[in-house]
Amino acid sequence: MERRVVITACSAITPIGRTKAEILDSLMNGISGVKVLREDDVLSPYIHSKVFGTVDYPITYDFKRQYRKTMGPVAYYACQVAKEVLESAGLDEAFVTGGRLGVAFGSTHGSPTVQRGIYKTFFSGSQAGYSSIGAVDYLKSMVHTTAVNITKMFGITGRVISSSTACTTGSQSIGYGYEMVKYGMQDAMICGGADEYDTTTVAVFDNLLACSTAFNDTPHLTPRPFDVKRDGLVVGEGAGAVLLEEYEQARKRGASILAEVIGFSCNNNGGDLILPNLGGITETIRLGLKDAKIPADDMDFISAHATGTKMGDVIEAQAIHSVYGGRPAVTAFKSYMGHTMGSCGAIETIIVAHLLAGGFVVPTLNLEEVDERCAMINHVMARRESPLRVAAIQNFAFGGVNTSIIIKKWEGR
Amino acid sequence: MTREEIKTAILEFFRKEFEIENPGMEDNLREIHGFDSIDAIELLLEIEKLLGSELTQEEKKRAMDIQNLNQVCDYVESMARVR
Repeated sequence: MERRVVITACSAITPIGRTKAEILDSLMNGISGVKVLREDDVLSPYIHSKVFGTVDYPITYDFKRQYRKTMGPVAYYACQVAKEVLESAGLDEAFVTGGRLGVAFGSTHGSPTVQRGIYKTFFSGSQAGYSSIGAVDYLKSMVHTTAVNITKMFGITGRVISSSTACTTGSQSIGYGYEMVKYGMQDAMICGGADEYDTTTVAVFDNLLACSTAFNDTPHLTPRPFDVKRDGLVVGEGAGAVLLEEYEQARKRGASILAEVIGFSCNNNGGDLILPNLGGITETIRLGLKDAKIPADDMDFISAHATGTKMGDVIEAQAIHSVYGGRPAVTAFKSYMGHTMGSCGAIETIIVAHLLAGGFVVPTLNLEEVDERCAMINHVMARRESPLRVAAIQNFAFGGVNTSIIIKKWEGR
Repeated sequence: MTREEIKTAILEFFRKEFEIENPGMEDNLREIHGFDSIDAIELLLEIEKLLGSELTQEEKKRAMDIQNLNQVCDYVESMARVR
């Protein structure tokens, strides 16, 4: 049995704003959330890329100590967006705690901030310090810290999925949550991803020569997906969460429906763990369409993964063109906020749902001159009204993991 | 260390770290104040600081039946006596 799955609530913490109004304002007015990389006195002095997609506004957390005590920064982000999703959805407590609501939520590597604290203690040589490393530090830093802190805070007793596949963490969470509901394993899932401010990830990409370095003095001009002057990705931070619900349940309780998830695909390149793979990405796109049971011609809009690297953008453009041709409009949202890693799939899904509902598209920021190798697809170069109906959110990760989420505008039935 | 000094130190720790203000000495920590396994581990670490020495695994296991603050103070007193 296949059931319909709809998005009934969403929340995000992004470098370009918190609320729907703030995020759309940034998108419509070309406001970048990329700022100068903060010094951390550990790795930052050695990193060549001095830019970061930064959440630089205050967030008020109202979490009781019993919840705070197992949370590192990444769990604060995750629990805040999950809290707002549940508040917005208005699910009753009996359902939330009854076992038919699950959580699919992850991050790139738990809380690196807390992990650094542990390593500092290890290497300090202090016996007293060593004994102070306890269960709490592990609970704050472990890979599934986001998912289980959400379950704890809200008493959720359903399934827990905690993907940790770098850039596809958020999209896998939504995809696997969608499958949970579609196939009747759960009636609703809180899905998303989060990543905190962290220079470890920047250092990794920096060492691989994948980070942007040419715009250190003008952070807002990078990253530049598909542009001839692009010189690499910009790491960022953030969080995004959506509530996926079985359609009949959502309808019966009068929930406000933002969009319908109609397809998901995930595959692996089966080889190199770093290089983008045209065959693998193309197959992901095809599998997504097959799952959604729609022809390629139905696709109106594509949120490209497009991080702004030299080869990644070219390969993605080729894959899009080989399946969709040049018709669907394409935007790369990382141009506004950098690559928010484990959260990007969720944040980009939320943005696309807003664009579907609003009937407009926004351009890829900093795309001034399209690289001729990426020119075969339909880049959005300016904001315009556009009656979108179906859209895809594409994400690809280190490890050769590829995902495609396909969502449809909610038209009342 | 007197009983009163132990009580003052423990109450201060509960106020500062656990955000529990003026708990009753006979309050069931788990049922009334939501004290859990993680809090117990943190409390043992604080007791080690109070004592100025590490607790053995056996000594830690003996703390697992503690339910209220009077029992916490009894435990600290007994641990201090054998040091």
